[in-house]
Amino acid sequence: MVAASATLALAASGCGGSGESGEFSLPTAAGYFKTACPKAAVKPAQKELTYWSMWTKDEPQGKVLQYVINCFTKQTGVKVDVQWLGREVLTQNVAPALNTDKVPDLIDQDVTKMQAAVVAANGAQPLQDVLAMKTGDGDKTVKDVLAKTSWDFPGNREKSGKIFLVPYTILTNGWWYNKKQVKNVTPPKTMDDLFALFDAAKKSGKAAVSQDGDIDTYNIYYFSQLAERYVGGGGLMKAARDKTGKSWTSDPGFLKAAQYVERLAKGKYLIDGWDAAKFPQVQQRWADGESDYLFVGSWGPSETREYLNKQGGGQAIDYGSFQMPMPQGATHDIIEQKPIGFSVTAKAKNPDAAKAFIAYFLNKKMLAGIPAVADNLTPRADLPVPADLKDIKKAFDDPKKEHVLFQDATDALNGGTWADNVLFPENNALLKGKITAQQFVDQMASKSAAYWKSHH
Amino acid sequence: MTSASLGAHQRRRRRIFWPFVGPALLLYVLFLALPTVSAVVLSFTSWIGAGGTPVFNGLGSYRELFGEEAFYDAFVNTLLFLVVGGVGTFVLAFLFTMVLREMRGNKLIRAILFFPNIVAPVALGIFLGFVFKFNPTKQGLANFLIGTLGLPPLKFLQPEHVTWVVVGALIWASAGFYITILMAAVDRIPAYLYEDADIAGASPWQKFRYVTLPLTWDVIGIAGVLWTIHAIKIFELVFVLAGPGTYSPPINAWSLGLYVFDRSFGAGGTPQFGVVCACGVVMIALVSLFVLALRRLMRREAIEY
Repeated sequence: MVAASATLALAASGCGGSGESGEFSLPTAAGYFKTACPKAAVKPAQKELTYWSMWTKDEPQGKVLQYVINCFTKQTGVKVDVQWLGREVLTQNVAPALNTDKVPDLIDQDVTKMQAAVVAANGAQPLQDVLAMKTGDGDKTVKDVLAKTSWDFPGNREKSGKIFLVPYTILTNGWWYNKKQVKNVTPPKTMDDLFALFDAAKKSGKAAVSQDGDIDTYNIYYFSQLAERYVGGGGLMKAARDKTGKSWTSDPGFLKAAQYVERLAKGKYLIDGWDAAKFPQVQQRWADGESDYLFVGSWGPSETREYLNKQGGGQAIDYGSFQMPMPQGATHDIIEQKPIGFSVTAKAKNPDAAKAFIAYFLNKKMLAGIPAVADNLTPRADLPVPADLKDIKKAFDDPKKEHVLFQDATDALNGGTWADNVLFPENNALLKGKITAQQFVDQMASKSAAYWKSHH
Repeated sequence: MTSASLGAHQRRRRRIFWPFVGPALLLYVLFLALPTVSAVVLSFTSWIGAGGTPVFNGLGSYRELFGEEAFYDAFVNTLLFLVVGGVGTFVLAFLFTMVLREMRGNKLIRAILFFPNIVAPVALGIFLGFVFKFNPTKQGLANFLIGTLGLPPLKFLQPEHVTWVVVGALIWASAGFYITILMAAVDRIPAYLYEDADIAGASPWQKFRYVTLPLTWDVIGIAGVLWTIHAIKIFELVFVLAGPGTYSPPINAWSLGLYVFDRSFGAGGTPQFGVVCACGVVMIALVSLFVLALRRLMRREAIEY
């Protein structure tokens, strides 16, 4: 399985040669923290570096980064001043500092947030040159080891057309199920197959799907996944930007996608109470076995496992996952992704040290901490993942798939206000079965047009 | 008193006027008047905050603000908190002032009623999230109690209903504070007035209507103003009770405070300080309007006693 996905990945990243070290097996979480520090391929002249992190010190990613920082300092002599600030680092710490001279050199977040909070304010510098830096895996460069899809897309370009973020973690999403609870699942090929699985779940006395309905960006998964399969990457964003709103009715793909969501809603497949939810209560009900399926990001296993561990009782899930099947007549086989990575601020005093650190972290042995400790996917296809994530990694590394940002990045369009005011309320109504698919696209057309009239 | 000594007295007063008023005035101008003025000025600009410069865009921010469903929902919900929550809180507070005065152990009861007030709204919101949980296999406390009465469980936290849950929570959490203020005023009323009323055979309602209410009138007025200011900036309770507590909840549940937060530091967007300031101006206008109306409504001749 691992070997197979590695081969696929090499094809995906356009890299022909085989790995020079042969088989690489993922260390255990404890084992990772004993990894010998690899030599740094790039040794910067600058001896200091400030990093404001989106992680907190005690979460797995924080621990991994701290270990890599220690190694980096040991091998290069660069002193890293790190501040663990948490997820709101960009809006609450970096953005307010942009007008001052006390900016950090290195920052991280997902590509959409980085664009909205920092790049839009001209706060980040192009990182094209990092692609050519060596990671310490033989002669390989950053460009060689990263899947091209993880950095090369329109959402990762600043004004001059150069990339502003180099990813180290990949979020994706899909359907999750417990192999112990639902046995012998074959990934559905058609939407009818998918609904057949849901019907079987209901027949067995369980709910079909758990859904935390108080999070708009979770409720949109179904529509965006289906619509993107009809209109392709960039299609949803194009319709969102259409000031006349007419795309919503003129492109039949949106109606067809909405019809499947309507079927999901009207068929009562969502677990009772999903619409009065308080996250994460409903995904916990999936973990407790009340429903068979859950559509959520690749963080699903780590969140639900943490919940079950805290509950005690020794329950464990054998995680299986598959992608949304191709709806009828759709032509784009997409998979959603959200790369998380580093940017270097425009005013950074130690840009070379920051870039050297980025390349160092992407070294296979260092980056292994992301799957091994934090249970997440990385943009390095040749890095194996824990068992929970094998299915989803395989889907992600599939070179035939079109990689699209989560909901085509429409959640950040115009400061997020388009989605908040137009897409989310209509989608919530559709998912609750309050409106039909036809009403949905009609409303999207008229409300989107009305929105753009007041938002030039 | 001779005119010379009066002059000296006035001179002395004038000499200490600025040293006394100066620091307070400076702080007030620096931290209240200037930010208010700058908010009004910035509301006529488009500004992404740090890294960008405000660009004058006339009424553009207001056009954006009024063109958003999120703002309308926030506005209506805030009015609900203000009016329904206010009426509820004060009715509850009045009820308690009617009975609390004559109750034994009323000091203790007052202290207990004040308790919800010392809990941070965030903690309260998280706690109530569990109380109002809807889960057919493991209901929250509220639905459990409803169930024991043989009634079907309710989906309290549905975005369409959650505003009413917040109103209820607000009343429950704030009543104690206003009871404390009103009772302090009630305690100042000479006991013989109530004794007199008792002898005349007055009911608790009559005592409230003809003794308590007129004699606490100005305190009620101040309490009303305090409530208005408090209600217009309600934010945390909505944020954690209606949403997951990490992202903003769906817009049906928003308050104006939440709107301001979301558009400044919201989950993923670029800050829009022009629009945020426009919303701030609307909030200032709303407070001013309600306070003026309230003062006008409450204007009576003060009763000396």
